[in-house]
Amino acid sequence: MESKAQPKIICQNISKVFIQKGTQRVHVLEDISVDVKQNEFVVILGPGQSGKSTLLRIIAGLETPTTGTVSLDGKEVAGPGADRGLVFQSYMLFPWKTVLGNVELGPKLRNVAKQERRELAAHYINLVGLKGFEKHYPHQLSGGMKQRVGIARAYANNPEVMLLDEPFGQLDAQTRYFMEKETARIWETERRTVLFVTNNIEEAIYLGDRIISLKGKLPGRMHELYEVHLPRPRDNTDMNFLLLRQQISDASELVL
Amino acid sequence: MSSATGTTDRSIANEIQAEVKERRPFSLKAFLKNRWFLYAVSLTFFFGVWKYVDYTRVLGNGIAAPEKVVVAIFRLMTDTIAGKSLWGHTWASLARIMIGFSIAAGIAVPLGILMALNRYINAVVKPVFDLIKPMPPFAWISCAILWFGIGEPSKIFIIVIGTFVPCLLNSYMGIRLIEPELYDVIRMLGGNRKDEILQVGFPAAFPAIFAGLQISLSIAWTCVLSAELVSARSGLGFIIIQGMQLSQPELVLAGMVILAFWAWATTLLVTYLEKYLCPWKRETSLA
Repeated sequence: MESKAQPKIICQNISKVFIQKGTQRVHVLEDISVDVKQNEFVVILGPGQSGKSTLLRIIAGLETPTTGTVSLDGKEVAGPGADRGLVFQSYMLFPWKTVLGNVELGPKLRNVAKQERRELAAHYINLVGLKGFEKHYPHQLSGGMKQRVGIARAYANNPEVMLLDEPFGQLDAQTRYFMEKETARIWETERRTVLFVTNNIEEAIYLGDRIISLKGKLPGRMHELYEVHLPRPRDNTDMNFLLLRQQISDASELVL
Repeated sequence: MSSATGTTDRSIANEIQAEVKERRPFSLKAFLKNRWFLYAVSLTFFFGVWKYVDYTRVLGNGIAAPEKVVVAIFRLMTDTIAGKSLWGHTWASLARIMIGFSIAAGIAVPLGILMALNRYINAVVKPVFDLIKPMPPFAWISCAILWFGIGEPSKIFIIVIGTFVPCLLNSYMGIRLIEPELYDVIRMLGGNRKDEILQVGFPAAFPAIFAGLQISLSIAWTCVLSAELVSARSGLGFIIIQGMQLSQPELVLAGMVILAFWAWATTLLVTYLEKYLCPWKRETSLA
């Protein structure tokens, strides 16, 4: 794993306060500083209500931080853009488009030629393992398949960074394990810088190079940093894996 | 072991599920419980009651026997009333609906979408629209006749007023009820505001817009009927009112049957148009 001098993403002293109902202030994040290197897989781990999704949305540019800055490749993030790909927790596929239509939407917005974007979309649909389902509509797909389309859609736009917001939260346990394996496989095939949000310790250790854990209870603050040096592909039942899992679970209020 | 547990009467869930086709040897009991047989029984009963009411003259001269209505329908197809054949009258009503519906939908759908997307247009249009909204379209009939006379324009005006409200409302709600995260998706793929409207707004609102069109079509038929009852020289409503004035109940009922047929046919047309334009909608059978 190469480490470049300049980290890919730099977040400095991010904090976020939401104003709700006119006067109520909801303090969601406080003093978060994160560095992500090129092609690194960083996991943000935290219980519910710890502001992790908000942090991801700030990095994506969909929210503006109350204080602090986010920069990507040295340039400050001012708003959403195609250089960051976001995979949503509730899939958010366009129901009126087929799988192919959804995946090729990014290139289509950039006016890429039809033949080229078809090939591009086909490549990524194949990469996520959905070859043969190009003409299907989202309502005909299972949850796991929908999320794979979401991943293909984000990849097809060739972003610098992939942001995944608890992407497997709505899937059942078996599908979740399967999708974790798939994610690891896809990432190994086409490396990108990844920021992955989850509340599942096992998932975090399975996928991440580095884990940033946030304390629960608003506002979310940085708690601990863990480096995962286990060899890939990771083994859930390996002793070191389990020890790290125990260590993280003891240190935070996550159950296991 | 003779004790059992659990309820033994049939669950509603079982009845709602699609009936499985299983070939069993014919039995009288099964035949009597068969759905289609029961439908036939119900319809026979309905026509029986109808014939009986006519036979006993309970409603005086207000009703005609079913067979008389059928005869009247056939007579309508060959004779003329007030100088027009049945097709002439049908076309008169259909033309009024098509013109009124097109004008109303052509204005209401884009306006509803614009109102949902632009707060200034919304601020200007909404108060006036809220004043007009509760008024039943037929209340406008006197105004319509005063302004446009008793010819075609007054009838088309009523249809436009009646069709306008549901179309606009449904288009507006169609855009407002879009999941906001879908706009985030388009932004993260590199889209701007124009892409938000064209790539997300329009397609997502399509099902709601079509629901509005269906409702408006039903209202349009009501409006054309009431306008024709008041002042008309042609149309299916005219046939009905003629039947009443000539004391020919079979003509009234014949007119009603034909009207129902064309209302159903036009609704079917919109349904097929929707199926063609919105292939992603799940199949739900309401027919």
